Amino acid sequence: MPTVKINGVEVEVPEGTNMIEAAAMVGEEIPHYCYHADLTVAGNCRMCLIDVEEGGRGPDIACNMQARDGLAIRTDTEQVKQMRKSVMEMLLKNHPLDCPICDQSGECRLQDYYMDHGQHDSRLADPKVTKRKRMDIGDHIVLDAERCVACTRCVRFGDEVTGTGELRLFQRTDHTEIGMFPGERLNHEYQGNLADICPVGALTNKDFRFEKRVWYLKEANSVCDGCATGCNISVCYQGSEVFRYMPRRNPDVNASWICDSGRMRYKRHAASTRLLAPRVDGSRSSWPDALAAAVERLAGKKIGVVLGTQATLEENHLARRLAEERLAGAMIFVLEGNDPGAEESSDELLIDADKTMNRCGAELVASMSSATAGGEALKSALAASEIEALVVLRDDALGRLGVEAPPLVVFLGDQANSTSKAANVVLPMASHVEQPGTTINRGGRVQLLTRGPLPVGDALPGVEAIDRMAQLSGGSLGSTEEWAVFESLAQSCSALSGMTYGALGGQGLPLSLASSEQPDPAPAPPAK
Amino acid sequence: MDLHQKVLSRIWDVDGSHTLDVARANGHYQSLEKALKMQPAEITEEVTNSGLRGRGGAGFPAGRKWSFIPGPEKRGGKPVYLVCNADESEPGTYKDRFCMWNDPHMLIEGMIIAAYAIDCHVAYIYLRGEFRPVQARVDAAIEEAKAAGLLGKNILGSGFDLEIHTHLGAGAYICGEETALLSSLEGERGQPKLKPPFPAVEGAWRCPTIVNNVETLSAVPYIIEKGAAGYREFGTEQSPGTKLFSCSGHINNPGVYEVPLGITMKDMIEKVCGGLPEGRTLKAVIPGGSSVPVMTAEEAMNANMDYESIQEVGGSYLGSGGFIVMDDTTDMVAALTNLLRFYAHESCGQCTPCREGVGWMYRVLQRLCDGVCTESDLETLLDLANNIHSRTICFFGASAAMPVQSFLAKFRDEFMARIDEAATSLAAPLPVPEGVLDQGAP
Amino acid sequence: MATFPLPPTDQGHGDVSWTEAQSAEIEGMIARYPEKRAAVMPVLWLAQDHFGWLSLDVLRLVAKTLELPPSHVLSVATFYTMFKKQPTGTHLLQVCHTLSCDLAGAEGLITRIQNKLGIKVGETTADGKFTLQRVECLAACGSGPMMQVGTDYYELLKDDTAIDAVLDALASDNPPSLPRPEMDQWTYTRKS
Repeated sequence: MPTVKINGVEVEVPEGTNMIEAAAMVGEEIPHYCYHADLTVAGNCRMCLIDVEEGGRGPDIACNMQARDGLAIRTDTEQVKQMRKSVMEMLLKNHPLDCPICDQSGECRLQDYYMDHGQHDSRLADPKVTKRKRMDIGDHIVLDAERCVACTRCVRFGDEVTGTGELRLFQRTDHTEIGMFPGERLNHEYQGNLADICPVGALTNKDFRFEKRVWYLKEANSVCDGCATGCNISVCYQGSEVFRYMPRRNPDVNASWICDSGRMRYKRHAASTRLLAPRVDGSRSSWPDALAAAVERLAGKKIGVVLGTQATLEENHLARRLAEERLAGAMIFVLEGNDPGAEESSDELLIDADKTMNRCGAELVASMSSATAGGEALKSALAASEIEALVVLRDDALGRLGVEAPPLVVFLGDQANSTSKAANVVLPMASHVEQPGTTINRGGRVQLLTRGPLPVGDALPGVEAIDRMAQLSGGSLGSTEEWAVFESLAQSCSALSGMTYGALGGQGLPLSLASSEQPDPAPAPPAK
Repeated sequence: MDLHQKVLSRIWDVDGSHTLDVARANGHYQSLEKALKMQPAEITEEVTNSGLRGRGGAGFPAGRKWSFIPGPEKRGGKPVYLVCNADESEPGTYKDRFCMWNDPHMLIEGMIIAAYAIDCHVAYIYLRGEFRPVQARVDAAIEEAKAAGLLGKNILGSGFDLEIHTHLGAGAYICGEETALLSSLEGERGQPKLKPPFPAVEGAWRCPTIVNNVETLSAVPYIIEKGAAGYREFGTEQSPGTKLFSCSGHINNPGVYEVPLGITMKDMIEKVCGGLPEGRTLKAVIPGGSSVPVMTAEEAMNANMDYESIQEVGGSYLGSGGFIVMDDTTDMVAALTNLLRFYAHESCGQCTPCREGVGWMYRVLQRLCDGVCTESDLETLLDLANNIHSRTICFFGASAAMPVQSFLAKFRDEFMARIDEAATSLAAPLPVPEGVLDQGAP
Repeated sequence: MATFPLPPTDQGHGDVSWTEAQSAEIEGMIARYPEKRAAVMPVLWLAQDHFGWLSLDVLRLVAKTLELPPSHVLSVATFYTMFKKQPTGTHLLQVCHTLSCDLAGAEGLITRIQNKLGIKVGETTADGKFTLQRVECLAACGSGPMMQVGTDYYELLKDDTAIDAVLDALASDNPPSLPRPEMDQWTYTRKS
């Protein structure tokens, strides 16, 4: 591992690290437009020009400079300040002054860097070059060519990630203009990422445009629940309203991308299908009454507990313990397949055919019990009336099995489905962005979800809802703090050995197969 | 020293010099026979020792460039490409067109020898789009050479194979820059690539690639024939050999002339170029193509035609040898504006300072020409040039900046005169339209 | 500065395809390079020679032929000035106006052509025979003022007689071959 010096501070960095990333490791932000950690280096914006002190000739661009022993750079010289200021002046020369009506405001690198590195007075006496504006280029994206800084991030995304290559630079000189072939439209499932990676307001997301100024938004780290890939996301919300999901970088899972249908799942948060209040026999109820009804009616029945492939590890863990320790003789099931109505789609990149976010987790928890089975077994058990009552966690169990409801169904979840509709008792739970928790994706990576907006309506965090059932059935199962539930699970499950919320952090950890193996902490993501 | 030495232009006068028969009758392809009996490394060494420098403009030692090609064990099975830069796009330069038109076989022979030296089996000649008639002639020469066993499989029984293809550009100055040329060859926009990696390590199709100018490659057969020492009989210690100068501007005999490096610029102008038109005096010289800094008459009279002297005396570069002479009738503000119009038209648009800055410089200059300007415009102009030079992906930024910097430094009084004129005309009372005073006056 | 009209005019070639001979020629072009996309410029040249100019229809055909995104082909076509994105007159007069030619009197050449043909730079004569353009350096700096017409250079157009002779010859339906002084008659090395 080479050692480089940044502003006099030595740092050892992995082989192949460029100087933007190396500087970030010592807390030094080098401004840049065209560089993106998950795309090839283009080196065209020139914003990351730095001085080379030793081991090369400068000034040079940091993004194309790989760390090597003896390399020393400076980002704090007068020359660097002057170079940044000049690049800002050039970039803004033909840029329209439309910040008040530009939806990138607040997360625009032209604005941010002007404050940090520009602050020049305009000395433009000549007319600006004008380009085309407000072009509808796809289902999710609007293009304003005049705001473009020609960084080619979107071009490289189309070439390197989706392989579709629709966006290109046309012309040359200061008439260079980003665009599409006339009459063509973006035709892939990853359009939203174009708006994310555009450092300025050239590509904006139709869905989010003019919905909210970004400085009002709070962000919570979470994971997309759209499929088993488990793409890392930021949930952007204000109060109890969610405005968008943004991809959150995780090189081991989704790089910096999410698919469009995953991105649009934020709409489920406030959808009419949300379960807002406890219900008993179809009528609105209260938590005490509904819980009492559930526990009373379950008493003495032959019970099946269906763990949730869409529920967190914590919820599944407590549901398993509820079944084993408070509902004596209950069988535990994990159901294969997707809920009816789930999209049928998959690709090589991020979209998995398995539309559940935590099948691995549900299966792992189920494997800790001796009395577990799958869908076929449940189906025949129901047919033979060996099971008279079902406790279902989030999944559409009846829909998946294609069976009639047994005499008693207790449903715990956040979204209505055919099971919740048939359920005698419905207990509304927080959605996956409203509560902390962990999931395991298709690659066996344990990932942490943090709490975003408050639960809507009367919904309660999942572990709390389950524990309240336990309390009425013989006693609490212990702490209802999610982190504590997780740690108690980790103690009894060798695959999760040693894991804590703190250790999972923003990037998660791979399942360790042997308890002796301590997982390596994943490298910290580069600061943006 | 004799002002004319014919190495590259040796057979240009001979009728039918572009045909294989005439070329062979004049000794062409004998160097190839000799070269194929040498070790590839010996050829590179001979070219290195000859001191031959890249004639496209950068003046980088040709032999050293070849030596950067990684050995077969480091290439991981990748092929090596040789690309002849025949884009000849630098304003003031038109010598390569003459080389290829009059003696395509000298270039082909040079390319075969170079390819043999660097273990290349597929080579390209990248011609600018306007050179279609030249391309036809080079293609015909390639076919002739192939038919004679001088190209293709098993050249002259040596076991060495080489194919040469021509590739036509389509109007882009920047494609004369070697990495832009490679982008264009690959079917992309002609945008320069980042260095590192350098083309010798990762060039065309990410394979090791050598890009050499037409004139550079055409000099190789002579070096092999006469040896490094033979080539060094011409020119100076540090600038050995002969060079083709494309002469234009205010001279009596514009043309392409081959001279030994090191002759005086005075002789170049007065004798080789036939002097200035009657009654005119020298004002300025651009010695190496439009990108290099301009030289004053005084500097020109004290400089020699070699890489070192032009740099020391004139603060300029020999470049591609595009020798533009300007007499006392030249309006230097208009001349610079003309050049910047060129650069503003030709910026590839890839990186920020060049894309935004060069057009900006041109617009400021246009205003200077139109008399809509103040002294602060000169400051802006120089500041822009300084902020473009050396801050771009390729050398284009510097190429556009150097004329601005040098014109402003050496002919500032002409620019100031424009500003003074503008100030005077703005200060003068505006003409009052007829009748206005009569109507409104009490 | 020549720019491509975006969005372009609706003028086009309609449904276009290659002849068998052209397809074979394209195969040969592709074979010269290790990657298919490298043939995009030779194929664009072929298309321009055949179809006259590069409409969106033609660009789509080229893209399909080389299995490239159409946007890539448009991007390449708009980068290079010699690819015609609009139709021009039969004879495209491209007068060099860069420094050496300017010093030699390029503006005089342009003025004469404008006056004789009654068009301005950028315009086409009513009969569709001539289009006049200014272009940057054509590498004929010693023989300015000069212009390129199609693939041919006409050089040393210093006086009206020389200019008129070229224009008249081009205007006639069967233009005689004109002397092209720099290439065929001048051998500078003789003068010493």
